[in-house]
Amino acid sequence: MAANHVSYDATSSNGRASRPPLNGSRHSSSSIQRTKVLVLGLRRSGKSSIQQVLFNNLPPKQSFYLEPTYRIVKTQIDTVVPLELWDTPGHATPESIGIPIGQFRSLIFVIDIRDLYNQPITKLVSFVTAAYQSNPDINIEVFVHKSEKLQEDDKIENFRHIQERVTDRLLDLAPEYENIQPNFYLTSIYDHSLHEAFSRVLHKLIDSLPYLEDMLNVFCANSQSPKAFLFDTKSRLYVATDASPVDTATHNLCCDYLEMLTSFGTLYKSTASTSRHSPPTTSEDPQLLSSNGASLTPSPTTSTGVPPQSSKKHPKEMFYPSAATSLHPSTPGTTLTYHEITSSLALLALVPTSVYEGRRGLLEYNVVFFREGVQEICDVEKETREGG
Amino acid sequence: MKKKVLLMGASGSGKTSMRSLIFSNNPASLTSRLGATIDVEQNHVRFLGDLILNLWDCGGQDSFMDSYLTTQRPTIFQQVGVMIYVFDAESHEPIKDMEYYRDCLEGLRYFSPEAAIFILIHKMDLIREPQQLLDKRRQELQEVSGDVSIQLFGTTIFDQTLYKAWSSIVHTLIPNASILSKHLSIFAQACGATEVILFERTTFLVIATSSSGTGVASSAVPTYAKDGSDHQLEPTRYERTSELIKAFKYTCSRVREEFHTLELDLHDFSAVLDELTKNTYVLVILHDPTIETAAVKLNIRLARSKFETLQADSLN
Repeated sequence: MAANHVSYDATSSNGRASRPPLNGSRHSSSSIQRTKVLVLGLRRSGKSSIQQVLFNNLPPKQSFYLEPTYRIVKTQIDTVVPLELWDTPGHATPESIGIPIGQFRSLIFVIDIRDLYNQPITKLVSFVTAAYQSNPDINIEVFVHKSEKLQEDDKIENFRHIQERVTDRLLDLAPEYENIQPNFYLTSIYDHSLHEAFSRVLHKLIDSLPYLEDMLNVFCANSQSPKAFLFDTKSRLYVATDASPVDTATHNLCCDYLEMLTSFGTLYKSTASTSRHSPPTTSEDPQLLSSNGASLTPSPTTSTGVPPQSSKKHPKEMFYPSAATSLHPSTPGTTLTYHEITSSLALLALVPTSVYEGRRGLLEYNVVFFREGVQEICDVEKETREGG
Repeated sequence: MKKKVLLMGASGSGKTSMRSLIFSNNPASLTSRLGATIDVEQNHVRFLGDLILNLWDCGGQDSFMDSYLTTQRPTIFQQVGVMIYVFDAESHEPIKDMEYYRDCLEGLRYFSPEAAIFILIHKMDLIREPQQLLDKRRQELQEVSGDVSIQLFGTTIFDQTLYKAWSSIVHTLIPNASILSKHLSIFAQACGATEVILFERTTFLVIATSSSGTGVASSAVPTYAKDGSDHQLEPTRYERTSELIKAFKYTCSRVREEFHTLELDLHDFSAVLDELTKNTYVLVILHDPTIETAAVKLNIRLARSKFETLQADSLN
């Protein structure tokens, strides 16, 4: 299987020069417009750890060994919107970034929760004012980080304290800065608060969010689901959710469920069979089947002139993984369902067990509609990005 | 049926932590809250219904150890089914640890010569080159133990190794585990499953698998899938499943729910995890895409009564 992928990659990279990458390809060409996000903070405040834990699956404990960042590092992240995260060294100033700060859609400022002195706040304010002047619509997100280091009471107090000081300082500078409304989040890499905070940051960057939310609302109403999330499977950030309030416990449950499923998925993978559900094009190809996962020449795919990834452009008969776990004993019992929507998105929904067991067909019918809608939105999003 | 399990080792080596992880469904991150064990903490853990594990968690401070080896010697070492001796991989006093181990072994040899001995080199997550250390320790301990056969595992509460060790510990305590295995492989055949794994309900330790039965072992290596291909599966899958499900059970308990069943239909395989008997869970792994999980669920329901009687028989 790995051998297959290598050859696919080779073909798609050949074609990249002439043609923008097609759907399903994880390789992003430079022609895609990426939403830029700037990550700021003093040294050792946790900027790099946040990114490594979220997008590289770094075990939180290992973040202790990360090297300090000495220059600006740009990371490209493909969630529902293609992002470019700029990780900065602790001593960065608005001038040293290299491009006007107004070009960023969001500015994430990381403050160590134990850091109550002026230094981080002065730095934050200098960036915020610089950004506000060139782009008044920029999102200011403040992560009050490493919350695990403090006891519950101190945590809340320091969090409030930092919030007050930032707003006070901004107001002191000029009354017009009253319009700046930074969002504050209490975060820690050791629990799900980081995922939840970053999800909320992400939401402001998704232009199609209202449509996704609408579809989730419709899905929930028609499936008697009290809560549903659309998750990015790789980073476990939720891209959208229905209108009912997000309960942290439920969010954590969904996060953990997704993590469990991801780990489980590789556990019983058989080395003997390539894939039970081969995509339609490959199953049509006798050469692919006979080779049974052994190394094969890329010729059958290149000869058609279309990289195989393109065939994954949502054929109806394609197989979409799903899973369900039933939870007891709270009556009438809840089932947590998982349905893959695209190669990077999954729908997680809480459904009454009676509905899941009694009207599963109807539920899956709703999922199919939801999936088609999301795929359409993703396609439009992709087209505009590539066109622009 | 009651089985006495001795949990011994130096103070702070992690005995109570592992007990809390395996038997109380606590996550590894909470073990730092546990205090030192004073004297002996006795626990009765109902395992597989009629099998009761009488767990003796023996506090490891020197004064307690000395009294176990002198005044309390008969009480501690009588009628032991299994002794689990825990060594801290980063111990500061390896020589003293070894001396106590030798003394315990002696006591055991005198009062319960039949007891199985498991040695866990614990806190392996702190070690840079685990394999080297394990080899070295194995050699040392083999020398000290003489002709007594020991089983040694490197473990840590932060990954699946602990489940691997405990699964084999429990395995020695279950009589006729091979009969269970044999029936599981018949069940696997009936379901068209690649593999069927039986877990204990509360601990999620592996009791038996369709491919582990003695005698049937070689022929039962899963080839029931229609395509007839030999499925080679990840060797650490059992203990990692235990670990994953335990972690998820804990998450569920946080939202006042209780994990009940799981079914998966993924790219590479489908699986059903469901209750089999009052105190076991069964995991059915399917690689044949034509088999529906609903059919497997029905099969599980139909197999329930058979396995209830089997289990009752095997324990009497």
